[in-house]
Amino acid sequence: MTSNPKGPNDYDQSGMTQPGLTKTGMIDFRGVNKWFGALNVLRDITLSVEPREVVVVCGPSGSGKSTLIRCINGLETIKDGHLIVDGQRVGDPATNMTQLRTEIGFVFQSFNLYPHKTALENVTLAPIHVRKIPRAEAEQAGRVLLAKVGLADKVNAYPAQLSGGQQQRVAIARCLGMRPKIMLFDEPTSALDPEMISEVLDVMVAVAEEGMTMMVVTHEMGFARKVAQRVVFMDAGAIVESGTPDEFFSHPKTDRSRAFLSKILRH
Amino acid sequence: MIWQQFLSLAGSYPLALRGLGMTIVLSLISLALGTLLGFGLGILRTGGNRLLSGVIGAWVDLIRGTPFLVQIFLIFFILPEFGIELDAFTAGIIALTNLAACFICEIVAAGIRSVPIGQVEAALASGLSRWQRMHQVVLPQAMRIVLPPLVGQYVLLIKDSSVVSAIGLTDLTRVGWLVVQRVPNGLLVFFLVGVGYFIVCYPLIMLARRLERRMGAAHGEVQL
Repeated sequence: MTSNPKGPNDYDQSGMTQPGLTKTGMIDFRGVNKWFGALNVLRDITLSVEPREVVVVCGPSGSGKSTLIRCINGLETIKDGHLIVDGQRVGDPATNMTQLRTEIGFVFQSFNLYPHKTALENVTLAPIHVRKIPRAEAEQAGRVLLAKVGLADKVNAYPAQLSGGQQQRVAIARCLGMRPKIMLFDEPTSALDPEMISEVLDVMVAVAEEGMTMMVVTHEMGFARKVAQRVVFMDAGAIVESGTPDEFFSHPKTDRSRAFLSKILRH
Repeated sequence: MIWQQFLSLAGSYPLALRGLGMTIVLSLISLALGTLLGFGLGILRTGGNRLLSGVIGAWVDLIRGTPFLVQIFLIFFILPEFGIELDAFTAGIIALTNLAACFICEIVAAGIRSVPIGQVEAALASGLSRWQRMHQVVLPQAMRIVLPPLVGQYVLLIKDSSVVSAIGLTDLTRVGWLVVQRVPNGLLVFFLVGVGYFIVCYPLIMLARRLERRMGAAHGEVQL
């Protein structure tokens, strides 16, 4: 895919979209570049994620994978290239980013639950204030979602009273409450104690199996093998390799991905 | 001798009440206006607009770096030179409101800055508007940081209101000056003036403590 360096203008011939279809992906990076000062954190990224596709992004620390998904909902701005999400151009003044963000759930490494609100209030805040759903209805939906992530008994708990794994599950429920079209996960299990990782991954697997379009920055290879259609390997701001989980884990094509895999799979 | 002074003081109580009333009215109005203005300025100060933030910062520094007495003289004696005539009460309100707003602006800005960036990002990611982010996510968390110094600042500002006696407003302090001319016992008179201020300020100090406890509980902290 992007391992052969084609310019952004060659996009339509790059084979990412199916031949004959003019439809673009749910998330479409076309020759995206970004700098932090002199540092080129995203280098000519071209990547298309289809609806209902689950893409796992991995790579060494500092490779730009978090920056990549943070661009999708405008938490980071891109310098040049095009990024089209759900048919709308990110960074275009004509695009209502606030509106676009309501279609994109974002799960943070550090959960970022609102500490002054209960689990249920965390889940219902945006549905009530952004979607304008009546409170009673939103609360009922919120309870259903919290039950779905296994926290029916923690509806009225504050984040400080929950474990890391529970907080992250509330955070996922908070995103689902908006009924997003896309879910982005930025190292969702990296801040968790080992025994809590699987409870969060189980919820993510369930979300993926319901057909959510997902981009997940993670090193959880079990998760990638189970639900991802594609694994994208990044290094130094560029997409170095991408393929199915089987291809990538069993037959990594580049030295850099082999070196990376030998490090994370050693334990 | 002392007894006569007491009788004479007791005779001054309507004046004392008037002074106390003036201090309270002046403080209430200017603290209410100053709080509104201070929150607005504090929010703008931490907002994205650098120019606006810089202008507010410069004004706040100017006001915080000059004596209140000088500010009140400028408003009351110098503005009329430019055709802006103000009565003493209005001038006092303006000066105190401005002073309060400047101090509160910095307290609010510090509170807003103390809220972790992840909170703003989470609110952004949920599609909350700028006002919703401020109102639902940032300010409630900032309030925990803001509240104790805010009420502490109220107490300081109520005491600063004594400076308005310099432009002839009959507040508690000026009543002290008036009474001490009839009852030549400064220690006694100004002791009572001090008691007057303390009566106004002490409930606020108590209120600050209660609010702090309540905000702590509302934050879902586990009480040990």
